[in-house]
Amino acid sequence: MAQKPAAKGTNLSGAVLPQVLWKKTGGNYLLTNDSGHHAWLEEKNFAAVTAGRLPQTSPLFAELASKGFIRSRLDFNDLAAKWKKQNAYLYYGPGLHILVLTLRCNHKCLYCQSAAAGLGAKNTDMPLATARKSVDFAFNSPNPGITLEFQGGEPLLNWEALKGTVAYARKKAKTSGKELKLALVSNFSLLTAEKAAFLLANEVSICTSLDGPKDLHNRNRLFTGGNSHGETLKWLKYFQKKNAAPPPGCRVFKPSALLTVSKYSLSRHREIIDEYVKAGLEDIFIRPLAPIGYAKSLWGAIGYEAKDFSAFYLKSLDYILKLNRGGVVIREKTAAMMLDKIINFRYPGYLDARCPCGAAIGQLAYNYNGDIYTCDEGRMVGWAGDVLFKLGNVFRDAYKKVMSSGLTRVCAVSSNLEAQPACARCAYKPYCGVCPVYNYATQGSLWGNMPSNDRCGLFKGIFETLFAFLKNPGNTAILKKWVAK
Amino acid sequence: MKDINEGTKKMILDPGVYCAEAVRLAAFVFSDRAAIRVVPRGRASTAVISGPDAERLAGEFMNEVLNQQCRLDLAKKNSKIAGIIVTKALLSAAGK
Repeated sequence: MAQKPAAKGTNLSGAVLPQVLWKKTGGNYLLTNDSGHHAWLEEKNFAAVTAGRLPQTSPLFAELASKGFIRSRLDFNDLAAKWKKQNAYLYYGPGLHILVLTLRCNHKCLYCQSAAAGLGAKNTDMPLATARKSVDFAFNSPNPGITLEFQGGEPLLNWEALKGTVAYARKKAKTSGKELKLALVSNFSLLTAEKAAFLLANEVSICTSLDGPKDLHNRNRLFTGGNSHGETLKWLKYFQKKNAAPPPGCRVFKPSALLTVSKYSLSRHREIIDEYVKAGLEDIFIRPLAPIGYAKSLWGAIGYEAKDFSAFYLKSLDYILKLNRGGVVIREKTAAMMLDKIINFRYPGYLDARCPCGAAIGQLAYNYNGDIYTCDEGRMVGWAGDVLFKLGNVFRDAYKKVMSSGLTRVCAVSSNLEAQPACARCAYKPYCGVCPVYNYATQGSLWGNMPSNDRCGLFKGIFETLFAFLKNPGNTAILKKWVAK
Repeated sequence: MKDINEGTKKMILDPGVYCAEAVRLAAFVFSDRAAIRVVPRGRASTAVISGPDAERLAGEFMNEVLNQQCRLDLAKKNSKIAGIIVTKALLSAAGK
């Protein structure tokens, strides 16, 4: 459908904006709409547009009309197609299935949300029968793509269950016709050549934590059995080599790493990013701490405010862009996922920033004993003794019962941005999402209270940084390249 | 907002601004942080909050009442589109 023609007898826009979201930033206005378009207006133009006095002959009018900001020129087919593309997840069920293979861990990270159990606590290992039952449960999802993510504790401590589950899931995928992705989140300290060969042969993608230079990484990620930083770098290099020259018949993914920003990281953005570049990583995923589960009890010692993280994120992205201008290949992952929405109108699979959030309907977390949680964060609240986010158990509850449960419904309802007072009118709404688990853990209700919500502050900081950089022509080409695929 | 005694604050909530449901919802959210007593006072409600740091808690409670009121007001306007989005997400997840 083409745009609606201009109203006769006038050469002005003649009408106020359709439902539009806006935010004043500096002297300019950022406009967004539900289809995901955005535009920048100077103050005088914003006044002209809202008063319906923008001449139809102006280039700005044409730009705004093409983006769905002029009421008399809406192209509903185009806007609806973009909305559907960006919200594609509404048409599938949970795709991410997190298997907590054990609560045991040989690290004692300062910020660990899940309060790992000691090495002797073998009763917190997931038996293979439970893992298989969890895989069966996951394959009940109508989603044509299933990702099984092995987590812990340290999942390599339960190697036999991991091996058995990989083989079982591969077999299950063949008979079901679903696409299966397998992912391992590990600190690498227990990896051996034999285990690595198995992971490569079974196309298991690898993700680890790298918190920066040796002293910072090892300060955050305490490992009495050796040098955590050294092990991480050694195995990253190993998988990078395999990726560059894969064994015959094998598809080897690039290994990836996560940065958890602790209080000690805040003043060291350059060193951390340089460490990623030195390690040959092309992505850095800058993640804030969350006061959930065990981390909540330590918040006074390790936590920080949203404004501290925002300042860190701004400096980091600025430095990353500077490196890019100098020819270094390094990309910030949160930015890339948000830019995929902002530039490409595409859903990047980021379960934390969507409406409704991914709790239960986008992801499920399976604890070592078969208990099913809405997400890993919900499991961490459960660890602290509050099982509000427990959906059931793989041995007792059917998939349909879990998906139609009151908890699944309430998570979807409470994370719907159309029902959130501050979010419904926020300029970042088309790209953002709220987390009922975070709201509950920090503010006492699933809905939360956004004006005083630190997660909201964090996301606003990220969006402000991104849009500011995107507006600068010197950065636009680099940022677009990050999501050009 | 009135001091009753040390550690206790009394708030009279204007019914033209805050409905009784918003006051009750806010009291529920605060139920694990302080003792709150909500008493009808004609068409208005009176909330009495007691606990350590009652002054700060009373301020935060008023913010929560406002949050709940805004949520209820928004639901009147947006419930149709909000319902469509959630229903689609839930039905898809259930495989229907």
